[in-house]
Amino acid sequence: MNVFLLYLLLLKSTTTSFSGMTSLPMLRSDLVVRHHVLTDRQLNTAIGVGRMGPGPAGIYVVSVGYFVGGTPGAIAGWLAMVTPAFLIVPFLVYVGRKAAHPRVRSMIQAITIAAGGLILSICLPMARDAITGALPLAITVVSFLILNFTRVETLWVILGSAIAGLLGFLI
Amino acid sequence: MWTFFSICLRIGNLTFGGGDPTMAALYRELVERRGWLTREQYATAYALARVTPGTNLLAFSAGCGYLLHGWPGALIAVLAITIPSSLLVGWITMGYQAGHVNPVVAAVVGGIIASAIGMMMASAWQLIQPRIREGQWLRCLLLGGGAMIGLSVFHITPIFLLLVAAGVGYFWLAPEKRA
Repeated sequence: MNVFLLYLLLLKSTTTSFSGMTSLPMLRSDLVVRHHVLTDRQLNTAIGVGRMGPGPAGIYVVSVGYFVGGTPGAIAGWLAMVTPAFLIVPFLVYVGRKAAHPRVRSMIQAITIAAGGLILSICLPMARDAITGALPLAITVVSFLILNFTRVETLWVILGSAIAGLLGFLI
Repeated sequence: MWTFFSICLRIGNLTFGGGDPTMAALYRELVERRGWLTREQYATAYALARVTPGTNLLAFSAGCGYLLHGWPGALIAVLAITIPSSLLVGWITMGYQAGHVNPVVAAVVGGIIASAIGMMMASAWQLIQPRIREGQWLRCLLLGGGAMIGLSVFHITPIFLLLVAAGVGYFWLAPEKRA
């Protein structure tokens, strides 16, 4: 895939999301479902890789870019991640406090709730790829519970899952 | 400006756990310790970052950078926060692609992939759960459930579903948060 087109598609999903992973449904529908340049397994891996290091949750886009287009693709992913951030400058200059308007807030809340629903609905096809047996299923459930109900850092959850995967292989 | 760059570099790349802890760390550094930004400026940047598309943390740091040093400040903040972590992510991905035929690597990645599904479910829940706690269960049911059905049953494109959600949010106002 052309790197510029990749950038535009990734930009489309980053500019229509308002927090970390809400860019996911759009990204999946463009790259996995429509253009077939990315597999669910690669997308899954990208999400895991994105949370292994520091930095915002949206950083998985860089990994997605690499899977689709190598190093130039990764750069396209990085650009798509940072481009929308600069929109805040015109906001600061012209809009000021008006952006805290209840109607704007309500719209963003509504979009975020819908994005949550979208993420849940793509979990299903992605889980079909990732959950191949009892062990991956257990890892998924335990990760979900830990991340939701404790304040354990994501990095430890990933490390634990990697070790569990390794032990499952060795035993 | 150099000090600002190194603050962004340090806080952006050594704080795990995503946006909010990082923004809190920047608050301590820029507002409380150094007094470079006023509390009001911080609050404005924070509020505007939430309505700026994309990653909140990046918009927020670009905003702080702009308030301190204009456009170069905004650029510096975003570069300092994203370059090191992006390089790391790129390298890990590269390593994975080179080694994924190895069964041991495949087993480890299998574990990570399974937990990524758990992470996705947790993130979706955390987007919706605070709204349910505010008593907006009907909004959550209709918007979240509607989006789910629209995508998985009718295969409507996400951008259209999000636009509809924005329209719903515009006319059906969210209740004001109690202070």
